[in-house]
Amino acid sequence: MGEEEKSRLNIHSYAALARERIESGNALTAGPDDAQPFIRMELTDKFFNLCRANSLWPMTFGTACCAIEMMALAMARFDMSRYGFEVFRPSPRQADLMIVAGTVNRKMAPAVITLYEQMAAPRYVIAMGNCAISGGPFAVEENYNVVEGVDLLIPVDVYVPGCPPRPEGLLEGILKLQEKITGNRYPFPQYNPPKE
Amino acid sequence: MDVKDRLIAELGSLPAIVNLVDQRKRGYHLEVLLTPKIIRDFSLLMRRLDFYLVFVSAVHLDPEVEIIYQFANYHGPCRTLARAFVPADGIIPTISDIFHGANWHERETRDMFGVVFSGHPFLLPLLLPEEDADLKPLLKKAAALKSAERIRRIAELATPVAVDNTGKNNPEQN
Amino acid sequence: MEANTGGKHSFVLNMGPQHPSTHGVLRVILEMDGEHILEPEPVIGYAHRIQEKMGESRSWPGFLPNTGRLDYLSALIYNHGYVALIERMTGTEVPLRAEYIRVITSELNRISSHLLWLGAFLLDLGAFTPIMYAFDDREQILDILEDITGARLTYCYFRVGGVFRDVDDKFVERTRAFIKRLRGRFKPIYSDLVTTNIIFIKRVKDIVNITPEMARRYGVTGPPLRSTGVCYDIRRNEPYSIYPELDFEIPVGTSGDCLETYLVRVNEMEQSLRIIEQALDRLPSGPFRLKVPRKLKLPQGDASFSVETARGELTYYMVSDGSDVPYRLKIRVPSFSNLSMLKELCRNMLLSDLIMALGTLDLVIPEIDR
Repeated sequence: MGEEEKSRLNIHSYAALARERIESGNALTAGPDDAQPFIRMELTDKFFNLCRANSLWPMTFGTACCAIEMMALAMARFDMSRYGFEVFRPSPRQADLMIVAGTVNRKMAPAVITLYEQMAAPRYVIAMGNCAISGGPFAVEENYNVVEGVDLLIPVDVYVPGCPPRPEGLLEGILKLQEKITGNRYPFPQYNPPKE
Repeated sequence: MDVKDRLIAELGSLPAIVNLVDQRKRGYHLEVLLTPKIIRDFSLLMRRLDFYLVFVSAVHLDPEVEIIYQFANYHGPCRTLARAFVPADGIIPTISDIFHGANWHERETRDMFGVVFSGHPFLLPLLLPEEDADLKPLLKKAAALKSAERIRRIAELATPVAVDNTGKNNPEQN
Repeated sequence: MEANTGGKHSFVLNMGPQHPSTHGVLRVILEMDGEHILEPEPVIGYAHRIQEKMGESRSWPGFLPNTGRLDYLSALIYNHGYVALIERMTGTEVPLRAEYIRVITSELNRISSHLLWLGAFLLDLGAFTPIMYAFDDREQILDILEDITGARLTYCYFRVGGVFRDVDDKFVERTRAFIKRLRGRFKPIYSDLVTTNIIFIKRVKDIVNITPEMARRYGVTGPPLRSTGVCYDIRRNEPYSIYPELDFEIPVGTSGDCLETYLVRVNEMEQSLRIIEQALDRLPSGPFRLKVPRKLKLPQGDASFSVETARGELTYYMVSDGSDVPYRLKIRVPSFSNLSMLKELCRNMLLSDLIMALGTLDLVIPEIDR
């Protein structure tokens, strides 16, 4: 893409600023996303992380085709309620996981950032589908409108590739997120993982 | 008299060129070549004959942009394609008070091609964000722009019943 | 019903691009007076994905995957329109077996789109059970189609000159079993649970009133038009493929309200099953694809092709300058015209009825925004 075209996609990169703050070690000038609790105790941390991972509440943010696979995940065959996150909250204040399913374009970008900032920490983002990861099939030379990757706007925790990813793929992405939160792949103790 | 014949008969009153085309090869039954002055009269005629508006769009050609209208009828197969070249100042009359569906189609055509529809009640961006109102993405760059002859059918595959009414009713054009 | 304050204290409410219904990113700016909407103004463009520009910047085979992403719920029908347009322009023949396969898979796709619509419509009403059953039936269709097309949702199965892969006996068996299963489920689930449910009827009857005249002014096609009594279906009026040889009815309503549109769609599912049965009975043997050259140049000129999708009339219009890259590709989608009717349709309506109206129109926003 020509340089003048690239400057059209110059959207405020929240993720880059947050990354800079963390890397420069400037905890005192930390932004709202880097809020740390005053007291940290390892055991309560582990316990809270376990609770959070088993009860992630996603926010409905389906933009395009991937939203249908997200809905299919919530339905009877793939059934994500066995993992604890069937409660889709429409309001960002009540959700802690934002699954960006679908293409984000320049008109939608301010809404995505606003919704992300309205979620209460700790909050997580899954970029589902090729469009949310990198613009997908629309990241072409003549692109004038599609944001090439939602991580230009908000920090993303897990990327789930596919166009659209199968519901099992999204489920694997959410389990990866659980692993990221707790450090453990199958956080709920009563599930017996298959023997290697 | 079926819908198509009735339309051809009524079109005799307008100074337009009407071509009957082969529907199996082109997908539509009639092609009408208009000028911007008679677009509104043509639309009133289509409304009177109970047609509905399929779409309003444009093609970017060499001297000017060409606006395309397609109409169809619920009661008989008569898909009609009408074309008009936008004059040099880029303003063309609107038909959104005759066919209310044209309201959105014309807003989209303005977004994509920059054609201004005079008389449109609300010509603001429909698909593009507001800061991109003058982006006009579907206009072609000079290297890719072609003139009208380069995109019309070479061999006339249509049945050659062309009705040319431009001489009638319009003494200025003679 | 008069408005609550007589219009004196109206306020503006934003039903934003992110809201908990599955239609996509549609924003409706509502001027409200108490609980009544004075005027809704839909704002679109949040899912504009440069489809028409992409159609003009790459050779015509490169646009095929995009057709599946326009309306992802009935992607095969969008595929069909595009390849049939190229076939019309170039004069390519399609073998009969391929036409039958196209119709069978398109009608399966239509059923799966209507099932999802039904589930989502009832979910907006607050009924959480029917969507589970609808998705269960839909998963059966997706399994059948996944075996031959390789995809679950955004298909790219049709090619110019036929289809990508042949169907085998297993497909025919599974489809017949599915038809039997779905027919058996119409009465107990969709009819007894939903259609005759008094709460549903009260929520849905006489909500909107689409008249044939309003439909004509806005260019409305599809089930909202057929619910008003106008029997207009591209499969009947401008037939394509093998539809002229198949025997099916076009369900038509009478009064143009939400209930009639619902009944039209449910009956359309039944008619699609009839079409699939007949097509399976007559499926001929033969080639499933005729090869065309990879760099097939499109002749200079323009052409248009219309198909009937689950939402209405889809028209592709292409202008070519003699190369294999189209000069202009215009896609006219049904939901665009259906949604433009919303402003006039939903004046002086209760807010909860607006949700019903949006559900009735069966919108898919990425196709509106292309």
